[in-house]
Amino acid sequence: MSEQELKYPGVNADPTIVGTALATRGLHKEFGGVAAVDQLTLDVPTGSFFGLVGPNGAGKTTTLSMVTGLLRPDSGHAYIAGHDVWADPVGAKTRMGVLPDGLRLFERLSGMELLTYLGRFRGMPLDQVTSRATELLKVLDLTDAGDKVVADYSTGMRKKVTLAAALLHSPRVLLLDEPLEAVDPVSARVIRHVLTRYTTGGGTVIFSSHVMALVEELCTHVAVMAHGRLAAVGTLAEVRGAAASLDDAFMHLVGADDRGSGGLEWLRSSSA
Amino acid sequence: MVALFVSLKWHLLTGRIRTASPVKRAGTVAGLVLVVLLAAAAAFGLGMLRQFPTYAVTTGALLLASQLVAWMLTPLIAFGVDETLDPHRFALLPLRRGDLLRGLTVSAMIGWLPVANLVVLVGVAVMISPTWGVLPVALICMALQLLMIVGLSRAASTALADLMATRRGRDLGMFVGFGVFLLYFAASLGLGQVSSGSGLGVGVSTAGRILAWTPPGALARIPTLVHDGDLGLAAVLLLVALAGIVGGYLWWASALRRSMESGPSTTESSSLAGDHDFGPAGAGTVRVVATRDRLLVWRDPMRRLPWLMVMVFIVLWPFLVVRGHGSLFAVAFGALMTGTQVGNQFGVDGSGMWLHLVAIGDRTRARGEMLGHLVVVLIPGSVLVIAGVVLHAVIRDDVAWVPAALGVCLAGLIGSAGVAAYMSAAKPYAMPQTRTSMFASAAPQHKSRSLVVALSVLLGGLALALPAVVGAVLTVAVAPAWGWVGLVLGPAVAAALAWNLVQRGSTRYFEQGPEIFAAVRIGDRS
Repeated sequence: MSEQELKYPGVNADPTIVGTALATRGLHKEFGGVAAVDQLTLDVPTGSFFGLVGPNGAGKTTTLSMVTGLLRPDSGHAYIAGHDVWADPVGAKTRMGVLPDGLRLFERLSGMELLTYLGRFRGMPLDQVTSRATELLKVLDLTDAGDKVVADYSTGMRKKVTLAAALLHSPRVLLLDEPLEAVDPVSARVIRHVLTRYTTGGGTVIFSSHVMALVEELCTHVAVMAHGRLAAVGTLAEVRGAAASLDDAFMHLVGADDRGSGGLEWLRSSSA
Repeated sequence: MVALFVSLKWHLLTGRIRTASPVKRAGTVAGLVLVVLLAAAAAFGLGMLRQFPTYAVTTGALLLASQLVAWMLTPLIAFGVDETLDPHRFALLPLRRGDLLRGLTVSAMIGWLPVANLVVLVGVAVMISPTWGVLPVALICMALQLLMIVGLSRAASTALADLMATRRGRDLGMFVGFGVFLLYFAASLGLGQVSSGSGLGVGVSTAGRILAWTPPGALARIPTLVHDGDLGLAAVLLLVALAGIVGGYLWWASALRRSMESGPSTTESSSLAGDHDFGPAGAGTVRVVATRDRLLVWRDPMRRLPWLMVMVFIVLWPFLVVRGHGSLFAVAFGALMTGTQVGNQFGVDGSGMWLHLVAIGDRTRARGEMLGHLVVVLIPGSVLVIAGVVLHAVIRDDVAWVPAALGVCLAGLIGSAGVAAYMSAAKPYAMPQTRTSMFASAAPQHKSRSLVVALSVLLGGLALALPAVVGAVLTVAVAPAWGWVGLVLGPAVAAALAWNLVQRGSTRYFEQGPEIFAAVRIGDRS
């Protein structure tokens, strides 16, 4: 399904309308004259588990960076629960939780200290921060590691403690960039479980991923990005269409059906 | 195989120059030529010392031993600067250990630092040759010295490669850097005392005599012994030197075997940090941020070592530059340096800055963060500066000048802290986030930017302290009472101006947060 054929909110819908967790309108960003995100207009319904998929360089991270206030767009707008991220940052930032990919944390704080600090930095009461942080660490299976410095955490532990930080202030929308990338199976399962519980409780999860099986398993809605634009967007069933799997549909949408075939005949005559 | 390693090292060395702009390329080449010229000047100076045979051998032994220590410490301070130092990079290549040793030995001698060392060694050879006839012997000794420092430094770096790949190893590297910094001060003090013939100078001379029996010291003595016809002792010392060289290469070979057969551990034991409330229940942003910074100063060597350096500048440095009355005014430089600790506050967090950025929605919180960074420097900084001034006043009997000196120092501290806070937002620069060296304070792309910031903070801080400086001049030239005027007026004016700069800086931070973030996150890849 193309962007113009959306059945839910739609490109011309009011971005501040109730029921829209994230809306972008003509979001655009160029690097060195090349559009990384090209006039992106997107609506994410409240309560959905929304997967943002695309090949490397499709513009997923750039999009998430712009809607979380970490990267200024060249033009266009982004709204979180009806609040313009750039014009009303207080309204938007109190309603979003963020888990970026590959960024550092305050490495010399322990997991518990990191959560306590971030909660207090946001102005939350100390007792509330302490009780929520303790509970989050327990649910995310980090209680034993809670008093160790983040610098010594594994990738899975770092993702989990960042997720805890994103959830600490009880936001309405979670924006996660590759939350399960390079995460061990046990941690991945814990993260998936927590995210599912979050959406069941009315929260909205928007996450980027390369792993189609994961998106197919978790998501209610999907947007496929390629070359900074939306190649398709809709419910999982709509985007998958007649294809056997989301993976097949994705390959077709990004024009990668025949990639990896041809050439390499010399491999058959390997001398090893 | 040796040619391949030489080619690899050459490409690593010239890679950055090749990709630089013509202006930067010309600057780099000019800088390298300057280094070699300086080394040549040093070599010439050392050569002149041969006219004083009594000092030549002792100086030679000290120099060669120091050179060996420097080469062995360099990988600890700057591991990662030379990619060929890391043996794990070669682990999967089909290479015999002998080939690797030969290749790495030759490649270690290629570069601007080895060239500068070689030039200095030629100077040492001239210095320790009583006559031109024994110069060939001295040159052979220097060749052996070069072989020894390469072998031992490579052995040390290979043995420490696993450690340096860990957080603790990098922390250790930072402390070694501080040790070198302290040694510099001790050496400066020591050399100053040698000329005055005091007890410390005698100690240095004794150290020279002891070092004469170590491998580098032995190499420094051999030419004189050959000249004097004492060939027996010369042979013994040659054996001592050769034992050092062979021992170094055996150590290197053994470390290389261990290192290539085992990778660094990915499950290092973790440090316990505990938990922290970041201030009482009602604490605001300023207090919470300041408490975090204070905690990190204790835990993070990257933040702690600058404070140790500042203490050296406040307590020791004035003794070096002012050898009599008035050293308390020299504390002002340490005060200015203390203010620089507020500098580049976003670069220090690196890409971790995102944690603040996604939570800051208004100017008030942005200002709170900036003030938090400022407070954690101003409070302990003021205590240090006051203690430094009082200490120097008591030791030098300059108590009458204390108010004036305090005025200058506190105004300088507040002024430079204010400028540093503003510059953090106006000209942020990336800092390498996994650095091993306390001297690598800016990412390569931002070296010049960090220099501009450092100069702006020092000069700006001084400018903001001008009323106090005038008070100090009047104190010395007219009457001590002017010191009280400087003490009251100087810090007050500096504080007012610094407050204004913090307001401007926090507004800029709030408005330009994403751009600052884009600049400082480069440090993750440096």
